[in-house]
Amino acid sequence: MRRRRSGILALRILLLLIGLVLIGIPFLWIVLTAFKQPVVADASPPVFISPLTLDNFRTLFQDGYAHSLLNSVIITTLATGSTLLFGIPAGYAFARGKFRGRGFFGAFLLFSRMVPPVIYIVPLFLFFHLLNLIGSFTGLTLAYLTGLLPFTVWMSASYFQGVPVELEEAARVDGCNRFKAFFRIVLPLALPGVVSVGLLIGIAAWSEYFIPLILGGFSTEPATVGIVDFVGVDGSSWGPMAAGALCLIVPVFLATLLAQRSLLDGLTAGALKG
Amino acid sequence: MATEAELDVRARRKSGTHVHAYADRYFMILASWPALIAMLAVTAVPFVVTIGMGFTNYNLVAPRWHFIGFENFVELFHSPQTWPIIFNTFYIVIGLTVLSTALGLLLAVLMKTAFRGIRVVRTLYMLPVLTAGIVVAITWRAMFNDESGWINYFLGLLHLPQPTWLGSPNLAIPVVLISTLWTAIPFQAVLLFAGLITVPRELQQAAEVDGASPFRVFWHVTLVHMRPVLFIVILLRLIEGFRLFEQIQVLTTGGPGIASTPLGLQIYNTGLLYQRLGYAAAMGVVLVLLVAITVGVTFLVLPRRS
Repeated sequence: MRRRRSGILALRILLLLIGLVLIGIPFLWIVLTAFKQPVVADASPPVFISPLTLDNFRTLFQDGYAHSLLNSVIITTLATGSTLLFGIPAGYAFARGKFRGRGFFGAFLLFSRMVPPVIYIVPLFLFFHLLNLIGSFTGLTLAYLTGLLPFTVWMSASYFQGVPVELEEAARVDGCNRFKAFFRIVLPLALPGVVSVGLLIGIAAWSEYFIPLILGGFSTEPATVGIVDFVGVDGSSWGPMAAGALCLIVPVFLATLLAQRSLLDGLTAGALKG
Repeated sequence: MATEAELDVRARRKSGTHVHAYADRYFMILASWPALIAMLAVTAVPFVVTIGMGFTNYNLVAPRWHFIGFENFVELFHSPQTWPIIFNTFYIVIGLTVLSTALGLLLAVLMKTAFRGIRVVRTLYMLPVLTAGIVVAITWRAMFNDESGWINYFLGLLHLPQPTWLGSPNLAIPVVLISTLWTAIPFQAVLLFAGLITVPRELQQAAEVDGASPFRVFWHVTLVHMRPVLFIVILLRLIEGFRLFEQIQVLTTGGPGIASTPLGLQIYNTGLLYQRLGYAAAMGVVLVLLVAITVGVTFLVLPRRS
């Protein structure tokens, strides 16, 4: 019996490790290729070992990728900030209560999660054309709300539901109005949840490709769109592309490492309570 | 415990100014309506416009348009491209959902293994989930490249056939599925793992005491208990499948021909590349109907309660 148990354990660990290797191979490609000499990076058949060089990063930044990365930072900040500003109070209202339009709000949240963004994008393109918002940070921020806002309301509502109503009532008996009760009692208690929602939508905004591809302009193009410039018809500049990919994934991995706990909790809470 | 009305009176007395009392009373509306209005503006209004546009011949090249009734839908119905594209859409959506959920469940069970270092392993499995879709797309484009790609290199070492992955009609969608599963399986696994650890240990032990095999315990106790989580995870993945864009646009560009083009990409091509906005909007209406039917069928067919 005992031997059989340890055999199963070894099999499980072996399967997990095989899975990790499969997960790891594309990352290995990115890291190795990013630091290869450009000629070696494009070699066929592939050459795995090459003298290390920063040439690919040099090519990348000469092509204005630094500007694209800066745009990514700006758009991510604007989109995350405005989504939280609109979404967190709405999540609280949705969790707590009775207000005119609650049923409609709930149905609408589900609906907007169901419809693919390609449905919204053509009319938005036309509206933005009329309003002169194509290629502007304002326009991009507004368009990012389509996906991020319903998600934020939904997720933060589940965190606010976890804050006991009694605490809030006690605060109001002690003379807080709703605003004070919200900012002094409810928000601090739900803060870990709010932080993880913020991180998740931040990562989503940083990774967004479809919206800026259509509504972005030359000067506001984020790195996700900028990197595609290196995909040639014959696919012949893998070096700079891998370097660009590395620039896109490293900040996210670092942020996740710092907030690992709350992020994992956030991701699962959203699915289980949503 | 004081009633809501009494609390309100006390709160108002203490809060003093008239503005504060007013804001206090309308707090919920102030908190919720800006978000609701923003969402209506960026999603509901465009949605209605898309439906309306589906019945016009609106075109960016010649921007004089009029209503043409169901002409776009008739053209769509008779186009030889339509049925292959709808087939591709469901091939991708269903293939992705079934494979990612089944393999994700397996991975979730493995993630429950108790040994030193399992937390690190779980964290490492999160990395593909956090990787931007565009990075997934270009990385796998490099991996599947038939000359300098790693996959064909290793197949060559093993003396296996080295297909031109991105150039074969029959392989294009499998390539899209493989690259997307790389992130979708860990994603499903993380969510399913969270559901798995909520299954009460006593239930499983009771079944084991009654002589049930581990497999039967898993099938009849654990899975039954996980039905609500499984339902949501499957539903989210189906919806996600209809949205899949960059993994196709950048990886296979929908080709060769239209061999890997789903409806979403076709709408993008028709509307924004060929600028036939009316026709693209009609396709959009069809896409929304397909999503609604799929979600509806899922609600009817899958058990939701444990």
